Amino acid sequence: MSEQPLSRPDPDRFEVSKGTLWLDRAMNHIIRIGGVAVILAVLGIFFFIVKEVVPLFSGANVAAEKSVLSESKRPLEMGVDEWGTYPFLYDGGNELTFISMIDGSRKRIALPGIDGTTVTATSYDPIHTRLTLGLADGRIATFLIIYQTGFDDSAKRTITPSVDAEPVYEMKSGAGAVRTISYGDGGGQRLLIAARDAGVSVLRFGKKRSLLGEGRLMLLGETDLSGKFDAPVVAVTASQNGDDLLVATSDGKLRFFKGGGGEPKLRQTFSPFGEEPVRRMDYLFGGVSVAMTGDSGAQKVLSLFRPEGASERQFGETKAFDAIGVGHPIFSPSLRNKTFLIGAGKTLSLRYLTSGATRWQGEVDFVPVTAAIDAKSEHFFIAGDDGRVQRFKLDDSHPEASWKAFFGKVWYEGGGKPVYQWQSTGGSDDFEPKLSLIPLITGSLKGTFYALLFSIPIALLAAIFSAAFLPPAMKQVVKPTMEIMASLPSVVLGFLAGIWLAPILQDKVPSVILVVVSLPITALLFGWIWSRQPMRVRGLLENGREWMALIPLLLIAAWGAWELGPLFERMAFVYNDPASGMQIADFRLWWPQATGLGYDQRNCLIVGFAMGFAVIPVIFTIAEDALSNVPRTLTAAASALGASRWQVVWTIILPVASPGIFSALMIGFGRAVGETMIMVMATGNTPVTEWNLFSGMRTLSANIAVELPEAAPGSTHYRTLFLGALVLFAFTFFLNSAAEIVRQKLRDKNRIA
Amino acid sequence: MNPIIKSSLILLGLAIPVSAQKSHIDPALPDYNVVSGVSGSLSSVGSDTLNNLMTLWAEGFKKQYPNVTTSIEGKGSSTAPTALMEGIATLGPMSRPMKSEEIDAFEKKFGYKPTEVRVAIDALAVFAHKDAPLEGLTLKQVDGIFSSTRKLGGEDITDWSQLGVKAWSGRTISLYGRNSASGTYGFFQEHVLAKGDYKPSVKEQPGSSAVVQGIGGDLYALGYSGIGYITSGVKAVPLGSGDGKFYEATYDNSLSGDYPLARFLLIYVNKKPGKALDATTLEFVKFALSKRGQEIVEKDGYFPLPATVVEETLNTLSK
Repeated sequence: MSEQPLSRPDPDRFEVSKGTLWLDRAMNHIIRIGGVAVILAVLGIFFFIVKEVVPLFSGANVAAEKSVLSESKRPLEMGVDEWGTYPFLYDGGNELTFISMIDGSRKRIALPGIDGTTVTATSYDPIHTRLTLGLADGRIATFLIIYQTGFDDSAKRTITPSVDAEPVYEMKSGAGAVRTISYGDGGGQRLLIAARDAGVSVLRFGKKRSLLGEGRLMLLGETDLSGKFDAPVVAVTASQNGDDLLVATSDGKLRFFKGGGGEPKLRQTFSPFGEEPVRRMDYLFGGVSVAMTGDSGAQKVLSLFRPEGASERQFGETKAFDAIGVGHPIFSPSLRNKTFLIGAGKTLSLRYLTSGATRWQGEVDFVPVTAAIDAKSEHFFIAGDDGRVQRFKLDDSHPEASWKAFFGKVWYEGGGKPVYQWQSTGGSDDFEPKLSLIPLITGSLKGTFYALLFSIPIALLAAIFSAAFLPPAMKQVVKPTMEIMASLPSVVLGFLAGIWLAPILQDKVPSVILVVVSLPITALLFGWIWSRQPMRVRGLLENGREWMALIPLLLIAAWGAWELGPLFERMAFVYNDPASGMQIADFRLWWPQATGLGYDQRNCLIVGFAMGFAVIPVIFTIAEDALSNVPRTLTAAASALGASRWQVVWTIILPVASPGIFSALMIGFGRAVGETMIMVMATGNTPVTEWNLFSGMRTLSANIAVELPEAAPGSTHYRTLFLGALVLFAFTFFLNSAAEIVRQKLRDKNRIA
Repeated sequence: MNPIIKSSLILLGLAIPVSAQKSHIDPALPDYNVVSGVSGSLSSVGSDTLNNLMTLWAEGFKKQYPNVTTSIEGKGSSTAPTALMEGIATLGPMSRPMKSEEIDAFEKKFGYKPTEVRVAIDALAVFAHKDAPLEGLTLKQVDGIFSSTRKLGGEDITDWSQLGVKAWSGRTISLYGRNSASGTYGFFQEHVLAKGDYKPSVKEQPGSSAVVQGIGGDLYALGYSGIGYITSGVKAVPLGSGDGKFYEATYDNSLSGDYPLARFLLIYVNKKPGKALDATTLEFVKFALSKRGQEIVEKDGYFPLPATVVEETLNTLSK
């Protein structure tokens, strides 16, 4: 035995080198900075979204601007150019007075052809800037007010007003002076209605639409409506599509006539204010709704819509507005949205049709007798009896927005009842945006639900199998393969699902049902039979390699189920044709008849499949990691004590790995909620509010992807899309927070002491 | 073989396809003359309907001016006004006229309105699967199929039997359309739905080709898009206004106004009043409006402009 000298420990061995310490500290800081940066980034995104959304809920700003006193006493009509700089007044004479709001200068332009007669009725159409005058001798003169724009040398805009006289029309029926008049210009079809001292008459005009050059306007005929009324006519109005007429009589009755391209026919008689006659009625922009003021100042807006079950559109009250007060009623519609200005006495009120909201209300210094909003809806004007013209600045960027518009049922113009609807933009100026987020939220939840319904069982069972049963050699192949699946671009998945898979599956629903049912049954049956086999048979396959026998069986079962689909369809899904009494075996016909729901080619089944490809790998990978990380000591101990493989999984692995599995589910959920391209390509983007398995959907995320490129920055539409983003953000934020709490609880409960 | 017979056979063989596919190019259209000093880049953002056409024009244009670089993006007409305003694009192709709101925003920034250039004629077509037994549709029927408000006064049509196809009784009509960024969406809404609302069940596709592909793969489908996107899988349904006659989406019917959904395809440019357009943009527009450019229009499946329209347009540009 040789003596070994005791080696004394080198004290430096216990000293950590400075470099290591420095690196350690540096990394600590870097990680801390990284963590804080992530939180800041998320908060930054949140604040950015909120910043974009907040202006939606601001009200209208109205500020009094210049006022000019003109010589035009007791003005009857007022109009203005689109920039709000050159209003004109008409006081019943034979000229128009234009007032420049820039330098206060006046310009008078004579109206040709009406000398020597008295003007007894006036109406002004701000859309076509047409002044219509009814004369004492029964004739009707119309004038177009033209604001010619040019640019001077310094590129400043110059506006030159002029008047273009249109032909003078003579009414054949009726007698005496024209008392009330209205011109409805729908371009290709037009109506001109006039009530005279005796008789009411309608002139119809038409123009053929052709691509090249405007056709000539033709007088198609005159209709005498005189016999239709049992009381004197007090007001008439024609709609701006040149198709509808409203005639009010002194007994409070209103009659609605529909042109339909031919003689106007009476369609509806109603009394909006009971016995009280209508004092003033005007069409709102779009020609569907009419704002009416009764003799006592009561205010109503009636819209043309098709009541449930009715075949024809009729007027009805869809919105309730507060009364405005008593006085001379004034009215002017905005030409950009459904805002309108009404007033009586000194009170003025700006109201918005869709939401039924009063955007602004205030008192003015003098009693206005006529009002006008400029075409861009940036200013409005009022004119008083003494010829005073006052300009107001109007700033109301988001009249369409309100909580009710986003989350409540709204009765839109022309609709039969209040609905949740998303239809944000239209092709014309008078489109009423429908901004309910409910269909989109429903779509997001529905898409997520069906995607998870499909992927959670597959992903979790696969993860358990891979972690607890599969031999390590196989696992090394399976796991990376699943992860590659996650890297498939979702736009490709969506494209394949929408264009290739959807047409294949549309007639194969019974086959799909059979396959979905038969696969788990076959697997379970196989497991049961296998476990009943003697050791001699089971020994043929190593533990964890039983799938080699199962897979061929599954393939056969799937093929068999697929082939049996048509037979299943003939047995279970038979459609009775009500017309011929024929029986047709077709799921696509049977589903609507049996459930009352639609069947669409692009449906949740397709989405579930496609989303499965995106979500399964995510859930699988994380869950598999959690399951594999259960300490071997635990599982080995359980096995050594005689637990079967299943008992180990059920009592040891699953509980210990449960927090990780829960995280996997949450991340899978997050992926499904936020998934965009698959939804855009495969769902059809139909904003329907229903949970039907065989219909499409439009999700919040897909909606943003589809509509953001078109939304003008700062517009209501743009901000509403951000509101959708905020809803999505809030949604995942709260769900993830809740999930994190649950996960912590699970971890504490299953802590390995 | 006698060489005369042979050559006349060749001539005949040539003559048949030519007469079958009559060209509608107006001989009075101007030829394109290359000018000097054209270089730089051209960018276009806007209509998907015009996307192929813009690409073809850009190719032809680059053959004349190899120094010019082009970029073309077609996500929908509604993207054009914003891009033009922000200066991202110098050309804003659109398949519908700009809305007043869009003009307002442009005018607020520049002080003048954008300039509209008519570049081609399109017949917006209602497409059905090629095997659909459908003779024609009236606008009222199309409104009843696509609209929830049905402003033309027809009844709600959801089933093929309501269109007289008894063999498909009980079959729901599957609807395809464009997303709301599209000018085609807007034009269809204004002229077929009479400014009404679409049914929520219309499947909104991100592009015209996706619409046509969807219909080609769905026997019970109806949808709409520009005529230039027609494929062998679909057919354009003749349309009528209700007088019992149906009109095909042809050049003549479009010009006469018999086919009710003919429209101009447009390019908007940012032209300062009193000042000439920048040379590259101006030459591109001139090229598109030339005989060569209009031949490209025809090749892409749309209809060329008559010379009078071209002349009028060139006049406004020179102002």
